[in-house]
Amino acid sequence: MSQNEQNIHAVVDQIVAECGSSTEAVILILQAIQEEFNYLPDEAMERVCAITEITPSRITGISTFFGQFRHRPAGKHRIRICTGTACHVKGAMQVVDAFRRELKLTGLEDTDSQGLFTVEKVACLGCCTIAPVIRIDSVTYGQVVPERAGEILRNFLVHRASIKEETSPVVSTGSNGQGEIRIGLGSCCIASGSSEVKSELEKTLVDAHIQVDVKQVGCVGICHQVPVLEIVKPGEPAAYYAKIRPDEVKEVVLSHFRPEGFFNRFKTDVIGLFEQILKDGSSGSVRRYQVEERDTPVTEFLGPQINIATENRGVVRPTDLEEYKRSGGFEALSRCLSGMTPQQVIDEIAESELRGRGGAGFPTGKKWQLVKEQAATQKYVICNGDEGDPGAFMDRMILESYPFRVIEGMIIAGYATGASEGIFYIRAEYPLAVSRVQEAIYKCNEAGLLGVDVLGSGFSFQIRIFKGAGAFVCGEETALIASMEGFRGMPRIRPPYPALNGFRGKPTLVNNTETFAVISWIIRHGAEAFARIGINGSRGTKVFALAGKVNRGGLIEVPMGMTIRRIVEEIGGGIAGGKQFKAVQIGGPSGGCIPASLADLTVDFEALTEVGSMMGSGGMVVLDEHDCMVDIAYYFLSFTQNQSCGRCTFCRIGTRRMLELLEKIRSGKGVPDDLKMLEHLAGSVKQGSMCGLGKTAPNPVISTLVYFREEYEAHLDGRCPAGKCTPLIRYSITDQCIGCTKCAQRCPSEAIVYQPFEKHEINQELCIKCDICRQVCPEGAILIT
Amino acid sequence: MQITIDHITIDVQAGQTVLQAAGSAGIPIPSMCYLPGYSNHPSCMVCLVKDLNTGHLFPSCAMPVSDGMNLSASSGDVLDARREALELLLSDHVGDCEAPCRLSCPAFMDIPRMNRLIALKRMEEALRIVREDIALPLVLGYICPAPCENACRRKKIDEPVSICLLKRVTARDAIVRSTGLEKPEKFTGKRLAVIGTGPAGLAAAFYTLRRGHACVLYDQHEHPGGALRYAIPDDLLPKPMLVADIDSIYALGGEFRLQCRVTGELWEREILPGFDAVILATGFREEYPVEEFGLPALEKGLVIGKKSYTSGKTGVFGCGSIISEQLLAVRSVAQGKMAAMEADAYLTGKTNIRRKPFFDSVIGPLMTEEHKEYVKEATKEPRTDPSQGYLAGFSPDEAVREASRCLHCDCRKPVTCKLRIYADEYGVNRKKFAPAIRKQLTRNLQHELVVYEPEKCIRCGLCVEITRKEPELLGLAFVGRGFDVRIAVPFSKTLQEGLEKAAAACVEGCPTGALAYRSEK
Ligand SMILES: Cc1cc2nc3c(=O)[nH]c(=O)nc-3n(C[C@H](O)[C@H](O)[C@H](O)COP(=O)(O)O)c2cc1C
Ligand code: SF4
Ligand code: SF4
Ligand code: SF4
Ligand code: SF4
Ligand code: SF4
Ligand code: FES
Ligand code: FES
Ligand code: FES
Repeated sequence: MSQNEQNIHAVVDQIVAECGSSTEAVILILQAIQEEFNYLPDEAMERVCAITEITPSRITGISTFFGQFRHRPAGKHRIRICTGTACHVKGAMQVVDAFRRELKLTGLEDTDSQGLFTVEKVACLGCCTIAPVIRIDSVTYGQVVPERAGEILRNFLVHRASIKEETSPVVSTGSNGQGEIRIGLGSCCIASGSSEVKSELEKTLVDAHIQVDVKQVGCVGICHQVPVLEIVKPGEPAAYYAKIRPDEVKEVVLSHFRPEGFFNRFKTDVIGLFEQILKDGSSGSVRRYQVEERDTPVTEFLGPQINIATENRGVVRPTDLEEYKRSGGFEALSRCLSGMTPQQVIDEIAESELRGRGGAGFPTGKKWQLVKEQAATQKYVICNGDEGDPGAFMDRMILESYPFRVIEGMIIAGYATGASEGIFYIRAEYPLAVSRVQEAIYKCNEAGLLGVDVLGSGFSFQIRIFKGAGAFVCGEETALIASMEGFRGMPRIRPPYPALNGFRGKPTLVNNTETFAVISWIIRHGAEAFARIGINGSRGTKVFALAGKVNRGGLIEVPMGMTIRRIVEEIGGGIAGGKQFKAVQIGGPSGGCIPASLADLTVDFEALTEVGSMMGSGGMVVLDEHDCMVDIAYYFLSFTQNQSCGRCTFCRIGTRRMLELLEKIRSGKGVPDDLKMLEHLAGSVKQGSMCGLGKTAPNPVISTLVYFREEYEAHLDGRCPAGKCTPLIRYSITDQCIGCTKCAQRCPSEAIVYQPFEKHEINQELCIKCDICRQVCPEGAILIT
Repeated sequence: MQITIDHITIDVQAGQTVLQAAGSAGIPIPSMCYLPGYSNHPSCMVCLVKDLNTGHLFPSCAMPVSDGMNLSASSGDVLDARREALELLLSDHVGDCEAPCRLSCPAFMDIPRMNRLIALKRMEEALRIVREDIALPLVLGYICPAPCENACRRKKIDEPVSICLLKRVTARDAIVRSTGLEKPEKFTGKRLAVIGTGPAGLAAAFYTLRRGHACVLYDQHEHPGGALRYAIPDDLLPKPMLVADIDSIYALGGEFRLQCRVTGELWEREILPGFDAVILATGFREEYPVEEFGLPALEKGLVIGKKSYTSGKTGVFGCGSIISEQLLAVRSVAQGKMAAMEADAYLTGKTNIRRKPFFDSVIGPLMTEEHKEYVKEATKEPRTDPSQGYLAGFSPDEAVREASRCLHCDCRKPVTCKLRIYADEYGVNRKKFAPAIRKQLTRNLQHELVVYEPEKCIRCGLCVEITRKEPELLGLAFVGRGFDVRIAVPFSKTLQEGLEKAAAACVEGCPTGALAYRSEK
């Protein structure tokens, strides 16, 4: 045995000792191996088979099923380029091309020749409001333009030494009655630089000897304005500072808090000037909004929302158990355990008419009842936090910001259904959510809220976390369970439903994260209060990730039944850049495109299904006149096609054939019969697929064919009216050109000849439609036709 | 518990699947990925049925029965959906059910199987394969212009396999000719007359006799053979060869009435009353006006049903040049067989299943890389010239050498492949969803017994489960996900290592030709 092999064996043996050697441990083991070697060496997997009950067939099947696993070594740094919906509509593919070009990657290569960078496409990094987004290791870059790819790589290499992973919770400085400064540290906030803001803030406070509580809160919801600082002082209205930069922190802080002691006061007087400017409101650099003032963007954004799943948004520290309790946390649980029978709990949930937030809207009370009625001694509760929709990040935000609320919901569910074990299924790509939930579980165990004899009630409940390995289809409950049992994440036929025969063959309750997050509110406020919100058939609120071409994107929680128009215009502030509102895509890859003409439609389960869309997970992407509907259909279908588990014929082959037809149409080679065939196949795939993935995959295609057929027909004529489909557009230079040569210098394919002070021309043969010339041209002389 | 399928009410037990319930009531539902004793994860979707209460389709193989189910297993939309499942599977499938040589052989002779048997020196079995479709192997071994060789895939590499000579060599040995005759096991008691002993008539008699009917051959000449004897010179077809082929018909019990011209009068007096069926194979119409028999005819010849070979009169069939001029003896031989099969069906009250050509998943031209895959299974030798000259043909050794050049372009499960069976049954359009660029086919020959052709795999996973159950140490695994998922041996090991014990079970379990025995059993 070579030294290397010996080394690998030692590492694997250690991992197996920690993870266990049962079949169920296979994903955990593989994750640990990959963590160690940054890919999965064959020798390591063979060693696993030699010392566990995991077979070569199983380990091969699993390790090639999930997107998380690599079979080739990765580069030193990983560039994750978001190709989620919001990023897609803002040009993510051109960003991918730009980085690949910069690293000289060809064909199937994903790692540069020096092994420095590996380029990967990922779905939604959760920072949709600053799309397009990329993340290199743990550093996130937003609003990336292809033209800057090289610059970003150099910037990263220069600064990476000083960058550390920003997932550790921050301890506050302790309350002193002066008020507090809240800073959002959700994924999106961190991505926009809130950790730099936070360190600047801490430095300022220390330097100026200001004693004030700095509180790290979860996602504040106004993701389009991050990083956000909120300053709360007793007796004063809260002040928000949006899109704040580290260099602005000092002036903001000093405008609110007086340093202590004469000497300090003297010192800060030097910069008293800033304070003056701020108070005058004449500073242009810092946008400050006060919630009290009517008609400011923040009130418009937050006003129409109702926070149930996101109760106390932007106020509570995610993993502060005491604070959660102070704001009513675990009240619902103790009420259930001390004064309600399991049946009473279920009745309450049933009366609230809560329907599952995982997409299909199955009545939650009914599902709990089913699990309760099973006579098994062992039952499970699973929180589905797989969230694979490429344009949504609600569940992640809930897990990151309100882990206790979800835990409370799960314990109540466990009590009501007679389950004794809860499992969080969270994708491994959500490290912050995993660590926050981990910490919260730990604290609950310490506090007697979990474990044997919860709150002295005699009821016992454990919770653990399972890290999903990145397959959209594993959000489907039977596939999710299969992957937890150590199988490939393939759905199976239902019935039997998991409620009867689920994890390890036992009755299992699977609910979505958001479903669990509203449970405690319902118990505390009563079913009636919940049922008063929303409309008939769809009660309560729903959290959406509002993104795309709106002025204000972010996570919103609105009452069911609000019109699309109100969401887009009032909360979202209308379409950015004065463009024309064209459509809104709801429900991600399972949903459909609803045209602007139907904007008065209410957002609820039935209304959405009726127009060929779906509530789905709650992604809501607003599209404007520059979005091509054929391209959108192609985008979603290529996602689902790629994520199909590959089991059934209609989904595995049918979606592929549909995609090929779309590709043909998109590149101007389609004929009228292709539209008919596409429509026909869409129907067949919907009808003949086994699980929800295949059954809904055609929705984006069908809905665009219904509402935007003329756009498909234009493509048959060789035109892309929105100017998106690269095979059908050409870049040219108008007479506005002043001959500055910028485009010629930046064009990566030498399609523009350098001609100072003369009108430039684009060689159509060489042009690769990377869009860089248009981005660099100072005169707006580049035309797309 | 009861469920209803196609208006038939069936008593069922909890735990049964709909497919099993249907089976118990004799309601046919196709299935491919289902194998009793395995976990049966639905994948192929050819077993779809419809729930009449909800209008939803679901795979019957995995759906447990529940009381009061009301299902349709035969409505138009169900059949359409099953057909589309097959069409989608075929759009992702690359394989020739039958080799191109066989498809271009007018008699549809199974050439690659013959070649494999010759290469294995199993001459008698090879002859049996030839005689399945060709009644006169020696005759055609001399005079057939071999359109099959023109279609032979080996032609693109060097020169076609010498099919015609190989066929001849299978019948060279008199003992083999006689032991390989396959005489009928029992007689039907039916009597059939064949008028004319040219290639069509001889072939018709050959297959009629093998079906257990008594057969009398009429010919106006002194010797049987018709055009074969009187129109073909001896240096092309040596007489002893013709005689040897005719002797086989004698050996099967054929009765010859020579120098007996069937006139209208004889027809009325002896033929019609004396026989249960008649096959007319009298050769050219000018020489034999069939109006004498009161049968309708046009200028080109006797009028017969296109596929049924039946003339205007029940029980009277026609083949060969009497129906229209035949330039190829092999075509007459083929028609003789078809007419005999039709007559047999008529006499026994069955239907001739060979009337319609069976479904074939045709690849078309191969890509250059694919030729390389095919050559892996053949010798690199150039085409063999018979050392004793063309008239003498191949020696046994030369035959083995030449047969080993065959690329085995056929599928090795042409009869049991369920994809083919259902594609035929459902009348699929195999091109309906064909992609613009088809997949490139590969052949895995790492296993001594098994050939694995991934492009014929429908990803049902049965083989994976079979190797798990065996259990194999390595076995087979799913690799990848979605459209790109494929079956392979873990850790890039060879198929030989993957299938140490379960090779046979995998071949038996695989519903298509993806996993098959390399050679003849
Ligand atoms: C392809 C597919 C993906 C899914 N992804 C998710 C998901 O990410 N999160 C989720 O909660 N439910 C998802 N579901 C729905 C689950 O199967 C299940 O219905 C849900 O978790 C039940 O929770 P609920 O009753 O609270 O809605 C998905 C379903 C399908 C078919
Ligand atoms: S519909 Fe698609 S994802 Fe679902 S089981 Fe079938 S192949 Fe798998
Ligand atoms: S960047 Fe614009 S102005 Fe400058 S040369 Fe190019 S087209 Fe002309
Ligand atoms: S696998 Fe079946 S369908 Fe395919 S070539 Fe073989 S016999 Fe024909
Ligand atoms: S190589 Fe063999 S199977 Fe292929 S066409 Fe030629 S004779 Fe037929
Ligand atoms: S090779 Fe395996 S998976 Fe493929 S069709 Fe045959 S048994 Fe099924
Ligand atoms: S961050 Fe890219 S789509 Fe969400
Ligand atoms: S899906 Fe039922 S037999 Fe294949
Ligand atoms: S054509 Fe088939 S044997 Fe000659």
